[in-house]
Amino acid sequence: MKCHRGQLIIILACLVVYSCTIFEKDFDNPVDFEANEEKGIGAPTLVFYPKSQTKTTSDSVIVGSFIIFKEDSMEAFSGVHLQIEFPNSYLELDTITPGLFITDTSKSTPLFTYTFDSVNTIDIYTYFLDTLKTDLLGTGHLADLVFSPTGTGSDSVSYNLNACEMIDHEDNVIVLKGDRGAEVIVE
Amino acid sequence: MNKSPKYFLFLLLGTLYSSNLDPTFLVLNHFDRSLPHADSSLIENFSNSIFEFDSTFHLLFEDIDDYENPAASYMNTIKELGKKHKVNFILFNQIKHVDDRFMLEGQLFNTRSGGLIYRRKIDLMNYLNGQINELNMWVGNVTGSIDDKWQKNRESILFRDPEDIKQEKTPLGAAMRSLVAPGWGQVYSGKKVSARVWVGTESALSLAVLISFLKYDEAVKSYLANLTLYNDTYDEKEVADYKAKAESDWDDHVKFSQLAIAFAGATGTGWVANSIHAWIVGPRPYKNIYQKWDPKSPNKTG
Repeated sequence: MKCHRGQLIIILACLVVYSCTIFEKDFDNPVDFEANEEKGIGAPTLVFYPKSQTKTTSDSVIVGSFIIFKEDSMEAFSGVHLQIEFPNSYLELDTITPGLFITDTSKSTPLFTYTFDSVNTIDIYTYFLDTLKTDLLGTGHLADLVFSPTGTGSDSVSYNLNACEMIDHEDNVIVLKGDRGAEVIVE
Repeated sequence: MNKSPKYFLFLLLGTLYSSNLDPTFLVLNHFDRSLPHADSSLIENFSNSIFEFDSTFHLLFEDIDDYENPAASYMNTIKELGKKHKVNFILFNQIKHVDDRFMLEGQLFNTRSGGLIYRRKIDLMNYLNGQINELNMWVGNVTGSIDDKWQKNRESILFRDPEDIKQEKTPLGAAMRSLVAPGWGQVYSGKKVSARVWVGTESALSLAVLISFLKYDEAVKSYLANLTLYNDTYDEKEVADYKAKAESDWDDHVKFSQLAIAFAGATGTGWVANSIHAWIVGPRPYKNIYQKWDPKSPNKTG
């Protein structure tokens, strides 16, 4: 009887203790402008998605480049220059493809070109081209960067914000207020 | 004699203290059960008595405690009876039975003043000829002539050695039972209504804990699922949608966690309170320290 009573008390105690567990509110998707704002990063923001990924040397590493605006933003843009640096000690650039946003979900073909300094810096130039629309409004996918691991390591892919630029269809500069890098781990 | 209260009156004339004083008694008996040997026993034991039967004293002294001054509640009636029967004292004896017990209440009135001058209440377990024996002891106590055999007869139901007293049920036993299962201790003590109340209360609280916990668990699982979906998408609308759902789940899991803790606290407190209540209302042997009457045992006869 005492044993049963003890078990009952332990079960009840566990139940109560487990009930006490309050999970942390952990919303940190780089595409979420509110999550970025909570980290002090204002919009419009250049980010990578995913914010962190772990791959093996036989995998390809795909990093998406995104432009993030506030939900109610009315700032429209037409062209972007992105300067991206990556850890060349264990990553090698494979290819770069336009994102769905800059192609207006594959409805138009943008101007999309890039240069690579053969070390660790990539410059992407893209301009939205369409027969009807002159610009794009809102958050979206600009480009996908595909890397091939050459070894193992842990570092970040990042924007060089000072060299990055965003313009509207009248060539007016839209000020970029922040950026977020992405962690790439190759094991 | 039938079951209905029967009243009979007998007049006992006798001496109390000395041959010079001749206190006389009018004895009024009120028994809820037939006691066929009561009158003959009194006649035999108090030989200088005269008996009269009268049914006019129906419920005469039953409500004496309802009066502000019980001792003076029937002064005129007592005086009138004293004059009518020419006695110094009136003895009113009442015996009531409850289960295996009987209560004897004796009242002695002085017919000169009309006041109650002596009163005795006895609550005892039934034993062989117990009612007659206690009646004899009470009348003997009033008249000052107690027979030793009456005393021995009463002592036969008392434990001679305290070590022999076995308490079958104890308050601690009730408390421990209620600690194991709410209401068990009350059932053990024969308090069935409070047992139902405790069982109902604790069951309801436990159910509330369980429901709150299940809701909490559901909210946690939903929160983690939506958080995963939120992290796994780069679609702006999906991000906002999963975030809103995850935030709602997060609020729910906090709410139900607090509810579960509050109900668990109430359940635990109630559980302990239930055990304490069981101890308070637990069986105490203040009326049951007599040993069972065994007529076969020769040394237990009065």
